[in-house]
Amino acid sequence: MNFDFELIVRSFPLLLLGAGVTIQITALSVGFGLLIGMFVSLARLSKIKPLKLLATMYVDFIRGTPLLVQIFLIYFALPIVTGTRIDPFVAAITACSINSGAYVAEIFRAGIQSIDKGQMEAGRSLGMSWTQTMRFIILPQAFKRIIPPLGNEFIAMLKDSSLVSVIGFEELTRRGQLIIARTYGSFEIWLTVAFIYLIMTFTISRLVDFLERRYKIDDKH
Amino acid sequence: MISIRNLHKKFGKLHVLKNVSLDIAEQEVVVIIGPSGSGKSTLLRCINYLEEPSEGEIIVDGIPLNGEANINKVRAEVGMVFQRFNLFPHMTALANITLAPIQVRKMPQAEAEKIALDLLAKVGLSDKANNYPEQLSGGQQQRVAIARALAMKPKVMLFDEPTSALDPEMIKEVLDVMKALANEGMTMVVVTHEMGFAREVGDRVIFMDEGRIVEEGTPETIFTNAREERTQAFLSKIL
Ligand SMILES: Nc1ncnc2c1ncn2[C@@H]1O[C@H](COP(=O)(O)OP(=O)(O)OP(=O)(O)O)[C@@H](O)[C@H]1O
Ligand SMILES: [Mg+2]
Repeated sequence: MNFDFELIVRSFPLLLLGAGVTIQITALSVGFGLLIGMFVSLARLSKIKPLKLLATMYVDFIRGTPLLVQIFLIYFALPIVTGTRIDPFVAAITACSINSGAYVAEIFRAGIQSIDKGQMEAGRSLGMSWTQTMRFIILPQAFKRIIPPLGNEFIAMLKDSSLVSVIGFEELTRRGQLIIARTYGSFEIWLTVAFIYLIMTFTISRLVDFLERRYKIDDKH
Repeated sequence: MISIRNLHKKFGKLHVLKNVSLDIAEQEVVVIIGPSGSGKSTLLRCINYLEEPSEGEIIVDGIPLNGEANINKVRAEVGMVFQRFNLFPHMTALANITLAPIQVRKMPQAEAEKIALDLLAKVGLSDKANNYPEQLSGGQQQRVAIARALAMKPKVMLFDEPTSALDPEMIKEVLDVMKALANEGMTMVVVTHEMGFAREVGDRVIFMDEGRIVEEGTPETIFTNAREERTQAFLSKIL
């Protein structure tokens, strides 16, 4: 077998474009996931029964089914109900956001529950409402603790986003496939794709370490 | 000021408070004593609804505690000091004190800070306004916690073993603050094992056991002349 280094050099710009798209999907999905996750975790912790039930069902459904199936549900199954085709980009972001939301919700819930119960009681005993206590006392403390697991979620999403290649969305993995279809350079291209993923996840995990250390110091005061 | 009628509290099958009735007058200082698990904390926590009574009636300053709508109103009038301080660790002493007045009373920040600084002076911590709880000793933290509760200008203060998490040398500084408060005429309900404090500032001592008020009276009567055997047995262990 001969290793075609020239192919890697030629394909690299295209693959980088794909990597950019991968980062974009990941950032958007985890971003929306954060919003969804925050509200869902609060719903799961609230005393309002129907809200709690709905939130629990959502989290169980998402965590109990493969992301690939969720992507198919949104891209192929949903249009049958609504009668309109969905743009692959919208479908990809929607599926990944809804997926990420469930995992982020669990991260938030664990973070909130790790805060001493006395904090909520102190807030409530001062006459603050549940919402006020959450906003000013519990959440600011929980945020610091959830940075590491959120970083892990970001990394997991970045890797899992390769699944949206199946609906033809041109992120990093799909770009690789397309180049291989033209050039047959399977070995070189997949190696390069793997390397680019590794660089991205490695960078993120270092970034998370840095943030974590900074907040630890911050915590000490 | 506080009127408790036939209060019951159950945690599942566990019957923690059994038919407790108690009236506390304005400016009165009531000290509650009793063995561990007798329901002292639960009684205090029912007064500001941190625990929901299973049965019975509690009226604080004329407001009956009967629905969500009233709870925050009553809580704003009732200050609570916890055994483990429960200061907000991500905020300075000053911010701990100003948070509720700003959020609940809608007080302008400048005014809230002025009040907070006055209160810090009162508890002897003028120089600690910008310190975080972690930078304060236990006794200092508890004094900030008292200042935080006072900032809401409560009509009643509840203390749940405020000195039992403290090293001995810090107990006095907290008790002194509480004494000063009592002398100013604050209505106080205090769960404590500090008998010196009870004697000196308590108007009435209540002995609880197994979820019931067993005996009550002036500190003098309870400490030297308790009627009930259970009270005598308990006191002989701690005095
Ligand atoms: N949230 C709860 N759920 C279940 N049981 C509880 C709860 N809170 C208190 N209890 C139980 O109620 C009883 C009374 O507790 P409480 O804390 O009021 O006692 P206490 O007199 O304050 O004791 P201590 O001196 O140890 O603080 C105990 O048996 C305790 O285990
Ligand atoms: Mg107790």
